[in-house]
Amino acid sequence: MSVLTRTAPRLREVHQPLWRALLARPAARVGLALGLVLVLAAAVGPLFLPDPDVPDYTDQLAPPGAGHWLGTDTAGRDLLARTLAGARTSLGAAALVTALAALIGLVVGTLAGALGGAVDTVLTRLTDVLLGLPSLVLTLAVVGVLGPGYGNLVLAMAVTSWAGIARLARAVARGALSRPDVLAARMAGVGPVRAVLRHVLPGVAVQVAVAATLGLGEAVLTLGGLSFLGLGAQPPTAEWGTMLAAGRDTFAYAPWQLVGPGLGLVLAVAAATLVSDALRDVTEPT
Amino acid sequence: MLVLRRLGQALVTLAGAGVLVFAMLAATPGDPARRVLEARGVTEPGPPAVAAVRAELGLDDPLLVRFGSWAADAARGDLGTSWRTGRPVSDEFAARLPATLRLTTAALALAVTAALLLGATAALGAGRWPDVLARGIALAVLVVPGFVVGIVVLDLVVVRAGLGRVIADGTWATVFLPALTLALGSIATWSRVLRTSLLEAGSAAHLRVSAARGASPRRRLLVHQLPHAAAPFLTMVGLGTAALIGGAPIVESVFTWPGIGRYTVEAINARDMPVVVGFTLVAVLTYVLAGLVVDLLCAAVDPRLRA
Repeated sequence: MSVLTRTAPRLREVHQPLWRALLARPAARVGLALGLVLVLAAAVGPLFLPDPDVPDYTDQLAPPGAGHWLGTDTAGRDLLARTLAGARTSLGAAALVTALAALIGLVVGTLAGALGGAVDTVLTRLTDVLLGLPSLVLTLAVVGVLGPGYGNLVLAMAVTSWAGIARLARAVARGALSRPDVLAARMAGVGPVRAVLRHVLPGVAVQVAVAATLGLGEAVLTLGGLSFLGLGAQPPTAEWGTMLAAGRDTFAYAPWQLVGPGLGLVLAVAAATLVSDALRDVTEPT
Repeated sequence: MLVLRRLGQALVTLAGAGVLVFAMLAATPGDPARRVLEARGVTEPGPPAVAAVRAELGLDDPLLVRFGSWAADAARGDLGTSWRTGRPVSDEFAARLPATLRLTTAALALAVTAALLLGATAALGAGRWPDVLARGIALAVLVVPGFVVGIVVLDLVVVRAGLGRVIADGTWATVFLPALTLALGSIATWSRVLRTSLLEAGSAAHLRVSAARGASPRRRLLVHQLPHAAAPFLTMVGLGTAALIGGAPIVESVFTWPGIGRYTVEAINARDMPVVVGFTLVAVLTYVLAGLVVDLLCAAVDPRLRA
């Protein structure tokens, strides 16, 4: 086995509930609180703010003040409202990417591990090739095929980032096939895929969820970065990357345009990093 | 033995990447012949002209034949014809590759130096203020996206303070700011990994002996811990070249750096697939080669890996 091949996170049996182990760490508490505040702000905030998409050409590029806490953009739209709408877009998309990647990885890994044989060989080869390639470069290539757009970007990221989960799921599924309870089910006539689905998957759901969560921060960054390049969300959609791109054009005389989306990105990535660092410490053998 | 096995692995990865990338090229909607004709200035090409170009590009051959000739061309360095300019992709890349190489080399040097300094400082003062400070810097650098730093730095340092030049022309004179921006993420990750492996190496029994014999903490760090931590650090740096290549499109776009990354972003927007595929191949090749070199270096540094 090469030292260079990225390995899926190894997970040990967690004896105390994961939540309690996680909450015992101050960094994880800060991260979770930060994430919770962001999600709440994204969910509730827009209810109390002006419409983020309706332009007001009488109030263009207003500096931050009582009326608009973060100022307005070139079309006179309230930047606080757009930042929170952008949080909905960015965080929602990151969650979607993570969930899709976990789902693909789970299906591929479970099929490979449970069926074995030629299916396993083909799927494992594919997984290894994907793990051996830089995922951001592949994402760019898939966006090239599908064309720029936020839905396409989400899809491109999902289909290029499932390999780590697949490797984890395959290892778990293979190991479980020789477990007594699964063997008993197999002898009772249950097929290998069904046996894994019914008897193994429920037990590994947490592990897969943990492994998937580790990629959340990077997903937020990639979504923002590629949207900033114009390859993801398109204006006038409120999204942090596109807002930063718009803010760059007016940075010299209206720098406040960058504050909302920039801070949003930083806080979201910070929350994800703090939580995933702690999760890794809690779940990985030291 | 190890060399052969790793070489075989690298070839398998490259072949797999070739199949994946060709599949993308073949799956892209639209008729490449039409795109090439339009790039050559023929508007509304008639069916005979399109058919002629289709034959010229070999688009009517069976898929396997097309893959074979495409792969053979790619292996010779011929990446096909740009759908946007009608010129060979390899010529377009050759003009822009030096700028990207300068940027990534400078970023790599910056990242390795800064990561070594930060990681060693943190490990030396573990649990005390230098550690807290170095880890704080690493965390801050990790969570602030490079392109945001790039925008702000470009305005504050270059436009307002008048230091450096606004127009990055791809030479060494203007490389510092873009390279620093590109290196930030790697600095954070690498220094964190280095700190952990230095501390792990520091908990070994023979270091207690060394300390008992009066070796100073700095001597223990440099003579005993650093060689132990070398293999994981090298691996990290090898993997990190991928982050640098993958980050090049974003950083080059922010700083209008005339490299292949920015060119590729333009190509994606114009759906110029041969260029996108060419960039992917170049990036994958660099990544696989870097991985190969690093693994062999690790085996040279760490006898345990030579099994």
